[in-house]
Amino acid sequence: MCLWCFLRPGATGQGQSTAVCSPSCSCDEDGGADCSGRGLTTVPTGLRAFTYYLDLSMNNITELPAFVFKNFPYLEELRLAGNDLSFIHPEALSGLHQLKVLMLQNNQLKTVPSAALKNLHSLQSLRLDANHITTVPDDSFEDLQQLRHLWLDDNNLTEVPVGSLRHQANLQALTLALNRISYIPDNAFANLTSLVVLHLHNNRIKEIGDNCYSGLLNLETLDLNFNNLMVFPKAIEALPKLKELGFHSNDIASIPEGAFHNNPLLRTIHLYDNPLSFVGASAFQNLSDLHSLMLRGASMMQDFPILTWTNSLESLTLSGTKISSIPANLCEDLKLLRTLDLSYNEIKELPSLQGCVRLQEISFQHNHIQQIDRGTFQGLSALRLLDLSRNAIRVIHRDAFLSLTALTNLDLSMNSLTVIPTTGLSALSQLKLSGNPQMKNVLTAKNLPKLRSISLPYAYQCCAFVGCDSMTSSSEEYDVKKSTGGEDVERISMIMHCSPSPGAFKPCEHLLGNWM
Amino acid sequence: QNKQISGVSSGCQQGGCLTCSDYNGCLSCKPRFFMHLERIGMKQIGVCMTSCPPGFYDTRSPERNTCTKCRSECDSCFNKNFCTHCRAGFYLHLGKCQENCPEGLVRSDTQRECV
Repeated sequence: MCLWCFLRPGATGQGQSTAVCSPSCSCDEDGGADCSGRGLTTVPTGLRAFTYYLDLSMNNITELPAFVFKNFPYLEELRLAGNDLSFIHPEALSGLHQLKVLMLQNNQLKTVPSAALKNLHSLQSLRLDANHITTVPDDSFEDLQQLRHLWLDDNNLTEVPVGSLRHQANLQALTLALNRISYIPDNAFANLTSLVVLHLHNNRIKEIGDNCYSGLLNLETLDLNFNNLMVFPKAIEALPKLKELGFHSNDIASIPEGAFHNNPLLRTIHLYDNPLSFVGASAFQNLSDLHSLMLRGASMMQDFPILTWTNSLESLTLSGTKISSIPANLCEDLKLLRTLDLSYNEIKELPSLQGCVRLQEISFQHNHIQQIDRGTFQGLSALRLLDLSRNAIRVIHRDAFLSLTALTNLDLSMNSLTVIPTTGLSALSQLKLSGNPQMKNVLTAKNLPKLRSISLPYAYQCCAFVGCDSMTSSSEEYDVKKSTGGEDVERISMIMHCSPSPGAFKPCEHLLGNWM
Repeated sequence: QNKQISGVSSGCQQGGCLTCSDYNGCLSCKPRFFMHLERIGMKQIGVCMTSCPPGFYDTRSPERNTCTKCRSECDSCFNKNFCTHCRAGFYLHLGKCQENCPEGLVRSDTQRECV
């Protein structure tokens, strides 16, 4: 335990320092020196030996000569980002035995200055991102046994620097993103047993070895987004602790059966923007930490995925598939589900969703559903949005909406309805019924006190909502006198939008006989 | 050279700025710089940096480079789930800032780490 670390040399308090400082810098009393953005071309002189933090970023320093930091044996953080550094003398960083953080990003380096990095035995964080590095010598990080965080993103690497990573048992976070890597060989990261985060996004990765992630026993985050993978990355089988996986925006056509059987801790999987056509039914089972699953456009997918023990799902989106039925026991596993989007499939019947008590949003839009039973939405008292549009619904049980006391938006447009039940829809503010040509009767506003917007098959039906005597515009100020239990009369101004609004050219054609 | 918005005095001299206005600082950054919005009173000032300020992590992408807030218990982080330095009262182990250390490790208050 290093006691004097508590009393860092020169640490006397906060605020500007009267201590020794270079005219090109501002120094604080704790040994920090900020010389950033001063147009410097060399490292300033006149700084104290006890400087522990030196910021030289955003200057015009093009090279570091030998022993340039020899007077700073206590330096812990050195910032050289945003200069035009293209050469670092092998002895430039000599003497910096306590250096923990070295920032060299946004410079002009073409290779990793491996000789200069020698002897930085305390280095934990090394930033080399946003340079022009094409090669990483195998001995680059050999002496850096305390290295934990390494940034090599936004360079010109065409392959994973396997050799230089071979001795990095303590490395915990690595980014190789935004390079030109096209292939990951087997055992590329074999000795990185402490690695927790690996970013490989925005490369050109087309193919990876089936054993390329062997050895990454502690990896929790793997980011393969924005690459050219054509085959599902089977190599993830070697990652038992994986929690976050991203491979969206690739060229993957299918997700195999049991795809994630070795990754039981997965919480998020980002897989959108892939030309998925097939998804194995067993791919997503036993993922008890998975919060959200979004699958769009897997056009060849026919079977509803098996989701046993994937019981923390809060959001499930499965759209654009050939799925024609939903398992009757869906809600036995998905008790935490809040949004369910099964639109644009071929579903004919709905099971009871009674167990999914937390559901707030449901979309079954654009399926082949023909009827809604009594129990379909029973118990869903938290449901706010229900989209059943573009189906073939003919019949809705009169008690189907009984428990939907929180429902505000109901879309039943483009179906084959003649009548709809309104009991239970006391909170409804938006109702869509257009595109039900058989529905000629007039709905009463009685059961829909909160309604603000309604679309109906025919203009005359709007008369029940907006009063036809003042047919000026579709949205009208409509004063309703409401007696509130006794003498007081409370005037509520209610703005109601009803379409299609009756008018000169859309007379109440069914005026006679049935609604007068 | 950074492009001035026409009719605006050239008040913003930051190196990483591509376009800027005197009132809001940097509006866009040069390639490879991170755009960060600093709040000064009621104003938000755009700043272009080579790395995000403490408490934020850098995300590079071909279109733009952004700064995103770390988790509340981290002073600095590599991404939203991996801390590199903890706030007081928390101790770092394998990228996590926790109030207690795993078995076999003890809390170091000076480094705020499990050692």
